[in-house]
Amino acid sequence: MSELGEADFGLTTFFARSHPNDKCGANGLPLTPNSIKILGRFEHLKTISHENLCKYIDIQRGKHERLLVVTEHYQQTLKNVAKSGKYSVEENLVTLAYEIVKGLAYLNKRGITHRNLSQENILFNKKGKVKLSEYGLYYMTEYGANVAFPIGHPQYLSPEVLCEYPVQYDEHSESEPSVLTPTGPKSDVWSLGLILLEVLTGEEFWGDLTMPQTFFKILSFVNSDIHPLDAISKDLDIESQVKTLSRDFMDFLRKCLSASPMDRANPTELMDHSLFRDLRQKNSKTKNGHRLFSSDLRSLDLELPVLGQNGYNKDYNEDHLSLRTMEEVYYLWQLAGGELFGALKREGLVKTKPPIHLLPYYSTLDGEVFGQRRDQAELLDGTIITLSQEQLRKRLSEIDETAYYPLLEDENSQVTTNLPSSPSNSDISETASLPLVIREKDVEYQFHRIILYERLIKGYPYKKSHIWREARVDIPPHVRAHVWAAILEVEGDIYARYDSIDKETPTNTDRQIEVDIPRCHQYHELLSSPSAHAKFKRVLKAWVVSHPQYVYWQGLDSLSAPFLALNFNNEALAYSCLSAFIPKYLHNFFLKDNSQVIQEYLAVFSHLITFHDPELSNHLEGIGFIPDLYAIPWFLTMFAHAFPIHKLVHLWDTLLLGNSSFPLCIGVAILRQFRDRLLTYGFNECILMFSDMPEIDIQRCVQDSIKIFCSTPKSATFRQHAREPNKPGTSSSRPNISYYSRDYNEQPKSELSMEPVKVEELKTEKCCRISAEDLIEMGELCGPSSSKSPTKRKPNSRPMIIVIDIRNPEDYAKGAIPGSINIPFPSAFSPEGDLNPCAAVNVLNQNKQQVKVIVGSRGKNANNFAADLVRLGYHKVCVLHKGIDVLRSTNILTVPPADYF
Amino acid sequence: MAGRTGAQRPNGATQGKICQFKLVLLGESAVGKSSLVLRFVKGQFHEYQESTIGAAFLTQTVCLDDTTVKFEIWDTAGQERYHSLAPMYYRGAQAAIVVYDITNQDTFGRAKNWVKELQRQASPNIVIALAGNKSDLAQKRMVEYEEAQAYAEENSLLFMETSAKTAMNVNDIFLAIAKKLPKNEGGGPAPSRPGGVNLNSQQTQQSEGGCCK
Ligand SMILES: Nc1nc2c(ncn2[C@@H]2O[C@H](COP(=O)(O)OP(=O)(O)OP(=O)(O)O)[C@@H](O)[C@H]2O)c(=O)[nH]1
Ligand SMILES: [Mg+2]
Repeated sequence: MSELGEADFGLTTFFARSHPNDKCGANGLPLTPNSIKILGRFEHLKTISHENLCKYIDIQRGKHERLLVVTEHYQQTLKNVAKSGKYSVEENLVTLAYEIVKGLAYLNKRGITHRNLSQENILFNKKGKVKLSEYGLYYMTEYGANVAFPIGHPQYLSPEVLCEYPVQYDEHSESEPSVLTPTGPKSDVWSLGLILLEVLTGEEFWGDLTMPQTFFKILSFVNSDIHPLDAISKDLDIESQVKTLSRDFMDFLRKCLSASPMDRANPTELMDHSLFRDLRQKNSKTKNGHRLFSSDLRSLDLELPVLGQNGYNKDYNEDHLSLRTMEEVYYLWQLAGGELFGALKREGLVKTKPPIHLLPYYSTLDGEVFGQRRDQAELLDGTIITLSQEQLRKRLSEIDETAYYPLLEDENSQVTTNLPSSPSNSDISETASLPLVIREKDVEYQFHRIILYERLIKGYPYKKSHIWREARVDIPPHVRAHVWAAILEVEGDIYARYDSIDKETPTNTDRQIEVDIPRCHQYHELLSSPSAHAKFKRVLKAWVVSHPQYVYWQGLDSLSAPFLALNFNNEALAYSCLSAFIPKYLHNFFLKDNSQVIQEYLAVFSHLITFHDPELSNHLEGIGFIPDLYAIPWFLTMFAHAFPIHKLVHLWDTLLLGNSSFPLCIGVAILRQFRDRLLTYGFNECILMFSDMPEIDIQRCVQDSIKIFCSTPKSATFRQHAREPNKPGTSSSRPNISYYSRDYNEQPKSELSMEPVKVEELKTEKCCRISAEDLIEMGELCGPSSSKSPTKRKPNSRPMIIVIDIRNPEDYAKGAIPGSINIPFPSAFSPEGDLNPCAAVNVLNQNKQQVKVIVGSRGKNANNFAADLVRLGYHKVCVLHKGIDVLRSTNILTVPPADYF
Repeated sequence: MAGRTGAQRPNGATQGKICQFKLVLLGESAVGKSSLVLRFVKGQFHEYQESTIGAAFLTQTVCLDDTTVKFEIWDTAGQERYHSLAPMYYRGAQAAIVVYDITNQDTFGRAKNWVKELQRQASPNIVIALAGNKSDLAQKRMVEYEEAQAYAEENSLLFMETSAKTAMNVNDIFLAIAKKLPKNEGGGPAPSRPGGVNLNSQQTQQSEGGCCK
């Protein structure tokens, strides 16, 4: 991560080569636009970070295959600086050479060839340090294959580049143009040699020659017996200046300007050249760098500045923003109204020609065209626009400097309920209550949140519970990738783990993976790029290979998409998140035979619908619209197959905080959102409606899910196929934030807990079962106990449940749950199916809002009674698991007061 | 979103008899089952048609002389693993389209297996059509037309090569099925919706397909 420092943001634009209109690929489908390919490759460039290189920050697509690229930028170029004659002094020249070589060697190591080096793109920051820019153009355009213009400055092209076959493409052939052998890093070394000579002499070589003449000149070196350095010196009459150079320097230049790449050094080799002996020593390597989720000792190289020493005092920087990373500042810049296309327009770089000027002169009936002039706009325009940071700085000017360094209060102090705990001004707490969409666009709010989270993540895993707390407020998009990983408790050396997995060996799931990837979230620009497809494949294969107990089910692709989109440049993290997510929410869903797991899940889902919305449940069941027909893709992919990623992330922001039953509540919330329509629909309309998910208000859905979750007794979502706790006793290190995040199965078990019920039996039941534990707690039958159930209530309100004992009055009189009412099943319903009026029924009707727990003895009576209540539209009906007998061992049962009868 | 009851063809659905049939699509993953349905029902083609998980449902109505035929179409997931769900969808279906991809021999093999399974397990008088999809990719053909046709004849299947991309033969194959379906006798196996064990008893009138009202 590089700090902004005094860097500007520079904007450049160019066009990707557009495909002929009707051209299709080998599969008969349209070709991937070149701009998309570039977008995918660009991501890798974002990871390039080196002190002598300008960072690549962002890329966006415009109309007609236009691309807009944002980079770190400086105004000072070598071309300007060299005019001063500074480089006729060898010492200066050596420093220049060293810094350029350092940058090139790093690029070399990262598999990138500049191919475009020139005096204009060797920049200097304010401290005079070399910053190479434009080094990614060749790489991101797939070595020039994706653009219609040549890359490289003619006078600096090395002989082997000139000998290369130009990028060839045939508009009518099916295959895509490709570059057989991309130029290697040694061509950059040639360009470097020439540039050094140029700045030494202060001349621009071959400026008066035409391009073919220049090329001819360069190529003439190849067959010549004399070394190109000598030939060039002679040709340009600069021998006298060259002679003044030291032997070391001459040797260095000879290594740069060898005609054959075989004799030429590569940048890494040049780093070790004796010319740089002294500079190498000075180049200390103290960086307090640390990669999150790796096992390096994070403080190994840590050097704390000492006050008064090393200029720590005078280094005090008042521009706090400049200490934030470029990515972060750029993100805020956009929130503050920064917009690339507008900037381009203001600078007059959007040249549009009336379309009529672009028509060909002549066209045959087959569509062959003649005389279509090439649009000049398609060529590379080297202009770099500096994006003004003024607006952003103005927006942030009111912010107190302490806000840049928020103090993190310690664990035990106040638990933030709803407001971000950043010690910022009151506006922020006001903003926190606004809708999420507004918060996400509010530059100040995001500023505070990002800074807070960034600190917390640095403290991960120690700050885990604080991260959880904050995540319940919201998660800023800019830090979502790491926050999710933290919530999923990704830990350890994920990189080594991922690297050790075999992602290449063919397996028999490859075909399925290969046909699924090009159909998975392809509206997403990044995910539709070839780079994304390759990553997708590796991540999926890695998961399948390293989970031999599971198999690839169609849907796993959708599930991995959000993680990949968020961690595009960090496959290991994407994989780790996926691997942590699945056991948490989809335990055993990917078993080869998963039918029991899914059937149980769907049965519980049905029960939940009935519990919360009996009317809807009755209707849907009446028309045969059962969850098996629509909800499998919902749950198997945790809604990733149902929603586009931009909506899904908001759903998962909350889902990730919930336990493994929470997704069931989301399912109910979705149905509830469409309830009015569903109630009027027949089977066909219902199923058509969900065959592709209609527009949904995700925020409302999230809020509803939470409400539903909180009003569901915990044991009602019990599933025997849910994950068992890892090791009994050693409870997970997960912060004990609330019931919300813990799984029922993680609780200690007793005879009052839920037990497995056969799936077949579950499916015949209409209502959910709850455990005696839940009954006791919700009915407050033995004083306030340890809170295990989500249902909390304020003191002095009515108990949240009403217990309906359906046994015959004699049994009831012998011992019953305190406060329960007795409605004996045999006489409860009239022949028409209504409840026969009686005192107990009146009590029931006065307590319609309460959870109704039906208690019977053995047999199906309780279930049938519950089903009848549901039929009559009573909501929140559930059945006590195992009936009254389960309570015999407790001392809860009492003889009802005599006046009850 | 309202009125998505499977677009009704202009001037259809008003006069004459109305017949309702359950039709299921089977075949290897990515052969274009969902694409065929989308082309037939909405007249569209999505290059990046999403893969199907479990199954998807759509309806479409066609007019044949004086009869209106309403198809209830179950589009199943092609991955072999979802195979165990398939009976739930073809049970009670009056028609099936078994799809393969003409550029991939393996998918043809899989199609033959589906045909066998249907002949053994589905309703005895189910109308089966074989669709060789992606006929727009003729230059990449791996399954010869004649081979598939001979196979179809042997097994008395309807056969066409289709292209969801160009729409070639898509409506035709559904029409051919509609023509072949019995429309006069009042019986026919009542289609049962796939799904839970205890649901068949609660099916309502509207699911009585296979006959005219
Ligand atoms: N060229 C061509 N491509 C087609 C045709 N039909 C479908 N495709 C493409 O083939 C791919 C798979 O199509 P789907 O319709 O998703 O296949 P499916 O059989 O439903 O696959 P599953 O849902 O996995 O079972 C998609 O990318 C389609 O765009 C066709 O007729 N011609
Ligand atoms: Mg499909």
